Amino acid sequence: MSWRKSLAAASLVLLGLASGASAQTGTLEQVRQRGTLQCGVSMGLYGFSFQQNGKWAGFDVDFCRAVAAAVLGNADRVSFLPLSASERFEALKSGRIDILSRNSTWTLQREAELGLIFAGVLFHDGQGFMVRKNANITSALELGGKKVCVQAGTTSQNVARDYFAANAMTVELKVFPDAAATLAGFTKGECEAMTTDNSGLFAERLKLEKPGDAVILPDIISKEPLGPVTRADDMRWHMIVKWVAFALINAEELGVSTKTLTAAAQSNKPDVRRLIGAEGGLGKMLGLSDDWARRAIEGVGNYAELYERNVGTGSRLGIPRGLNQLWSEGGILFAPPLR
Amino acid sequence: MIRFPLLLAFLASVAAIPASGQGRTPPPETMDIGDEPGRVSTAETVIEDGPYARQMVFFRTNEPPNTLVIHTSERFLYVVMGNNRALRYGIGVGREGFQWTGLQKVMRKAEWPDWTPPPEMIQRQPYLPRFMAGGPGNPMGARALYLGSTVYRIHGTNQPETIGQAISSGCFRLANGDVIDLFERVPVGAKVIIRHGPQV
Repeated sequence: MSWRKSLAAASLVLLGLASGASAQTGTLEQVRQRGTLQCGVSMGLYGFSFQQNGKWAGFDVDFCRAVAAAVLGNADRVSFLPLSASERFEALKSGRIDILSRNSTWTLQREAELGLIFAGVLFHDGQGFMVRKNANITSALELGGKKVCVQAGTTSQNVARDYFAANAMTVELKVFPDAAATLAGFTKGECEAMTTDNSGLFAERLKLEKPGDAVILPDIISKEPLGPVTRADDMRWHMIVKWVAFALINAEELGVSTKTLTAAAQSNKPDVRRLIGAEGGLGKMLGLSDDWARRAIEGVGNYAELYERNVGTGSRLGIPRGLNQLWSEGGILFAPPLR
Repeated sequence: MIRFPLLLAFLASVAAIPASGQGRTPPPETMDIGDEPGRVSTAETVIEDGPYARQMVFFRTNEPPNTLVIHTSERFLYVVMGNNRALRYGIGVGREGFQWTGLQKVMRKAEWPDWTPPPEMIQRQPYLPRFMAGGPGNPMGARALYLGSTVYRIHGTNQPETIGQAISSGCFRLANGDVIDLFERVPVGAKVIIRHGPQV
């Protein structure tokens, strides 16, 4: 062996060691070694992440289960860590969790300042209005001259003020110290409407004696895009989380659900075959097995199943798909193609 | 008559479903219930609460106002209102094998329509009457909107608990109060788009 060759061999070994070492510390390898995914969720928010008969359930919980299914082949290999709003990002930065899936809004500051990165939008939330059904109000633009109940010290107060000013409407904001008092103000008739984020309005409505007596207007006047978060220093893991989310959305678009997975295996449509891993080798590109997306769908269903079961028609919340409907069906939910 | 208490028990069990909280198991695809000619549901019956209650929703579309979009896999009928919104009604749809898609027009509208089950329906359910005059006990319910030259229509029902289910022979059913509301909004000639989820 010439010195040239042995040097080349040695540098190859070094390269191999270096890449091996970094691979050892990657989140994907850690999750595989541990055999479970560490998922940060809320302390308890009905429909999104909450405990039911000692088990975690909800929209954000099911997304982590989908990632576990894609990465570990089993949707049950997740341990959930309930986190308060103030501790959630630090828990992710410090490596206590692999994913933060906790109704968190995607903002510039959270990425640029905290060194985190959002893996997309799984739920487009935003500020809305609840009114009494018998008031026959169908649009937020009909609230001129009326009173609106809002919680003090929230962004909702500013957003509402700006919205009414922008539409040249005179609306009196009745401010209450907390969420319970705001709802009580609405129930007692101190205002014609109450305002907070849309998902919150549906949750508050359930607390009314007769939820059917109140309606939530279709108007959304602010952007609160909620999605899963990972650390910015591990792009390979980020990509996996991001494409699991995209796979669930694409699955809905292609009609692949828990009910049609068997039929999908026989499909001759290229899009469907790539999604379920029959062709294309997309899983390998992500460092996963080729049936990664099929396992995620098998574990939690496609996006529509995930949505309807947790916050839609299968849930007491009954939140209409609205903005979260597919881009092709009246909403703005959009995922790049799997190819 | 034993039929009535049985029916009440059935209704009670159906009513219990939405109250049972977070349903981990989705409702059955097809509800095992036949037509019940003679059972009475009044013009005032609407879906009062829950996801199948009539409500205004965000809905982005290029279709003009008063277009009807029926989404069979979602169990919703949308009336396009313009300005990114639609009025959404919960519907009952055709059971497996009786779901269809297409583009139609509202050809005719009728109040308390008579019911003449088509021959193919009689063949499947021989116990059905050959003709039934319109009224609160008629499975067609309070109003009907006839779709093109098809045998299908959007109609009321005397079985409001079937809203949200796949059950009919291909028609779209609404609670009587809701179909009356729809009837008054939608003119003859309105465009009707019937969609179903994609096939794998």
